[in-house]
Amino acid sequence: MREPVTVQVGGFANYVGSHFWNFQDELLGLADDPDADPVFKNDALDMDVLYRSGETHQGIPTYCPRLVSVGSRGSLGSLSSSGNLGQTSASADQLNVATWQSGSVTRSVSKPHGRNLFLQSLVEEGQNPSTSNGASNSQKSVEDKDLIDCLENNVNFWTDYSKVQYHPQSLYELHGSWTDFDKFDNYGSAQEVVSDWSQIEEMNERLRFFVEECDHIQGIQFIVDDSGGFSSVAAQFLENIADDYTNTPVLLYCVRDPMTLGSSRRNQRESIMRALHDAVSFSKLSSFCNLMVPIGPPSLSRSYMSSYLYIQDEKPFHASAVCAAAIHSITVPFRLQRTGPSSDLAHSSGNLDIGELLHILSDQGQQNMVTALDVAMPAPSLTDRDAMGNIEMKLHSLTPEISDEDEDPYSVESLVVHGALDKGGQRTSISQVKDSVCSVYEARETKPKFSHLTASLCPLPVPLPFPSIFRGNIGRHGEILSDHAEESQPKGSLDIESIPMAARLRSSSAVLPFIERRSGSLQKHGVARGAIGSLVLRDWGFGREEVEDMAEHLAKLLGPFHPAMDLTLDSD
Amino acid sequence: MSLRVLNPNAEVLNKSAALHMNINAAKGLQDVLKTNLGPKGTIKMLVGGAGDIKLTKDGNTLLKEMQIQNPTAIMIARTAVAQDDTSGDGTTSTVLFIGELMKQSERCIDEGTHPRFLVDGFDVAKRATLEFLEKFKTSVVMGDEPDREILKMIARTTLRTKLYEGLADQLTDIVVNAVLCIRKPDEPIDLFMVEIMHMRHKFDVDTRLVEGLVLDHGSRHPDMKRRAENCYILTCNVSLEYEKSEINAGFFYSNAEQREKMVAAERRQVDERVKRIIELKNKVCAGNDKNFVVINQKGIDPPSLDLLARAGIIGLRRAKRRNMERLVLACGGEAVDSVDDLTEDCLGWAGLVYEHTLGEEKYTFIENVKNPRSCTILIKGPNDHTIAQIKDAVRDGLRSVKNTVEDEAVVLGAGAFEVAAKKHLIDNVKKTVKGRAQLGVEAFADALLVIPKTLAENSGLDTQDVIVALQNEHDRGLVVGLNHHSGEPIDPQMEGIFDNYSVKRQIINSGPIIASQLLLVDEVIRAGRNMRKPT
Ligand SMILES: Nc1ncnc2c1ncn2[C@@H]1O[C@H](COP(=O)(O)OP(=O)(O)OP(=O)(O)O)[C@@H](O)[C@H]1O
Ligand SMILES: [Mg+2]
Repeated sequence: MREPVTVQVGGFANYVGSHFWNFQDELLGLADDPDADPVFKNDALDMDVLYRSGETHQGIPTYCPRLVSVGSRGSLGSLSSSGNLGQTSASADQLNVATWQSGSVTRSVSKPHGRNLFLQSLVEEGQNPSTSNGASNSQKSVEDKDLIDCLENNVNFWTDYSKVQYHPQSLYELHGSWTDFDKFDNYGSAQEVVSDWSQIEEMNERLRFFVEECDHIQGIQFIVDDSGGFSSVAAQFLENIADDYTNTPVLLYCVRDPMTLGSSRRNQRESIMRALHDAVSFSKLSSFCNLMVPIGPPSLSRSYMSSYLYIQDEKPFHASAVCAAAIHSITVPFRLQRTGPSSDLAHSSGNLDIGELLHILSDQGQQNMVTALDVAMPAPSLTDRDAMGNIEMKLHSLTPEISDEDEDPYSVESLVVHGALDKGGQRTSISQVKDSVCSVYEARETKPKFSHLTASLCPLPVPLPFPSIFRGNIGRHGEILSDHAEESQPKGSLDIESIPMAARLRSSSAVLPFIERRSGSLQKHGVARGAIGSLVLRDWGFGREEVEDMAEHLAKLLGPFHPAMDLTLDSD
Repeated sequence: MSLRVLNPNAEVLNKSAALHMNINAAKGLQDVLKTNLGPKGTIKMLVGGAGDIKLTKDGNTLLKEMQIQNPTAIMIARTAVAQDDTSGDGTTSTVLFIGELMKQSERCIDEGTHPRFLVDGFDVAKRATLEFLEKFKTSVVMGDEPDREILKMIARTTLRTKLYEGLADQLTDIVVNAVLCIRKPDEPIDLFMVEIMHMRHKFDVDTRLVEGLVLDHGSRHPDMKRRAENCYILTCNVSLEYEKSEINAGFFYSNAEQREKMVAAERRQVDERVKRIIELKNKVCAGNDKNFVVINQKGIDPPSLDLLARAGIIGLRRAKRRNMERLVLACGGEAVDSVDDLTEDCLGWAGLVYEHTLGEEKYTFIENVKNPRSCTILIKGPNDHTIAQIKDAVRDGLRSVKNTVEDEAVVLGAGAFEVAAKKHLIDNVKKTVKGRAQLGVEAFADALLVIPKTLAENSGLDTQDVIVALQNEHDRGLVVGLNHHSGEPIDPQMEGIFDNYSVKRQIINSGPIIASQLLLVDEVIRAGRNMRKPT
């Protein structure tokens, strides 16, 4: 077994992760459910690679994600940092302290975070599981509707919609004693936190716990909210990972809440700080991982997706769901059964482990390590040979600031299609998926240098706490309805069971503007003589030399494209 | 320290308002920490929004837990925490002393004294107090065989301010022995060589010193022994797992056969490394009943574990990086990065290696080592917050012993030093200063008394009675501190109540520095919402 270990650092990363693990939890449930669609069985996806089996101190067996989640103090809401595997801190009410004479104890209790309706229902379900499915179904769906409304209207923490059980080692809260996490909005704001050696050590230890268990770790998938101080925390963490697990590949997703990129007007100083943050954070993070995937378009509500999805940007609960779905799709190949290239399984083909994926994308061709993430949610029906079925045209990028043109003959990509449907709403077989994707690529004017395809029958399940973000034109199984009544109400998990997905990682010159912009900002505001930003960088703890190193690193990332760009021009 | 304006919305307060804001902040912080001080202080149980519990009796932890937003309070908190970083103790005293210096100054300022005079007086008083401390301290000769009794007294004093007596006394010997174990003559003591490990146990609160190491993981093969005596220990950082190396990561195998070949070749290299280890084992264990344990910082995959198990070797993978160093200090031998030139000299030794399982958690004990220069303090407690608090206390205890060994001196505690220093300032120093700076010396001297006063207050005693009684004794030439049970004067020497010299020194040093900065403030940067009270 080849296990990936997941790390999530920062606010939005944990929002994304929460949805990601909800998908996994849903898959686990569906595999066990006799009434569920058989595509969810067949060992379609090997869950053991993402999950670990263990037991509590009371001897109760557990099955938890191989996960280290790092957030700020207080960001866990009503979830205790020691996880939710029983072990409740009942002792919280007693003044009896085992280490000090009674009588001299004072207690100060923060206002408890109440569990919302959804979390309460999870607890009840855990207490009497018999009532959770079966008999009073009609009555139950009314309840479910209430739960969904409750989440739509008020999610304050990523834990508010999480139905997953976390291991006590998984959740780590950073305490920056005098760091204001509400203003944790640039690279420098984490200085206090990262200089606290014991906290960094604790994160390393948590990770080591999960890595030690792995018989053969295939890699680390790392999700960071890179919009502020957590970039710096993650960079420190990644640096230690690179030291401790030298040959373990690291796949890094940088995610951002669309609101943090907000269009709100800034003064000059603020925009320089913003530009410098982006540059520094990009430079640092990219130097300690093998592949980097920036995710976070300025606004999802105004994106292409708005014809199928109804996303409210101001709700991180919404935007994170789309990012998580895309990341889920990318991880599908990591958990497919391993087969030789010739022997196809009926339910999947094209397994890859993290190392192989990184190798395809970054070691081939251009040696570029920054890739774009494109997604089609839902994936179009593939058997249509008209434009509707052109999967290429339905894939849209979640990576910001990249070029729309993609005529790079050196590009390398990995495409994952899972749960695809045909025109009639039937599941497309693996060979049909292959054929139709091939034909699309054949027809392409500039073909990528290399393209890898992974296909699986298993679609993205839509768990109950998934936000209601689907428009009326999406059917129960994620099919696109041509004749649907204009509904104003967005659909959610009660109307939609699963979604066919396509997602693609693309290493091509399209990411050039993204890199150039960061490299340019650092040059202009940080390195150039008398640059206004140099004071800011000094405040963040960077010496002149370190700034130059970062700039050089960014220049190096641009390197691979220069010969390729010439060629692109030639071929035009 | 200069405060740089980053926030354009900051308002600037005028001088007098700023001064009073500083004084109030210092007093506010003092109020919060006051009840912590000494063996009769209160322990604080902080319950978070999700029911998480944090227990703390020390200033350092409490300050770090507090959401302080007032910039002045943050400045004081930083100073106090820096105190803990360098000397490991005295955070609470530092905050109290700064608060008291500000309080005493406030009185003088309200009566029309310019802060400048106070600051000048502080300066004189500080230097005089430091000189006095040199005379007052009790020297301890360390030499080759340190005076265990004095080390125990200092450890006990510290531990009893954090844990109830029974528990503190149990830990006293442990921390002293731990420090003496890792100490090398003429070298600074590296407390990292004391590993602090914990286990959750239903009811017990128990701590013990393991001369050797406890690792928080076990072997990952069912056939490996769970207990072995007379063990050679190989400490290494060598990958014993199959991984695609860069060169033959040739991904596009044209066929399955080619792929198999690649995998097999790569596998052979790993097996080769395992075989080297087995060869050494066979060499050193031939014809005797000795055992062989491999502790690897890198991974060991199942096929390698199989090979090792079949050869009768116990293998642990993914050991903590820091444990590599500790292992070598505990067991001897060296940490190797490659298995190419393995010899018997690379190996360490332990009389006993065994595994202990608690639910899904496994621990490996490596004990009965020959000449340990590293050891483990193993803490058992019923829940995480209790364990965490004992850990904090153990760290404080270790620091106090280390400080004593390095300072080669201790200072009489229970307020004795503060009362004596005050008397010295008033009797001998004040008159050497001209003019209003005298007020500064006096304020400083009075501020010192905050320590015995607070100790008395926390013991539920009448502060004035206690101070008068102590001062009377000092006037009679007796150096006494307060008995926290009765309030009567006692001889700290007799009672074995000692504080660290370096800790005292630092409190005397940093307190007036911060207080002076706060008094001489010209303006205070007021950054909008940051003006909340420090609680
Ligand atoms: N048995 C005792 N009787 C009287 N006073 C004592 C006794 N033990 C310790 N003290 C005094 O208690 C003070 C130390 O208290 P405590 O350890 O709570 O605070 P601190 O060292 O200033 O800060 P912290 O330990 O929180 O960093 C010292 O002044 C010491 O002399
Ligand atoms: Mg102390």
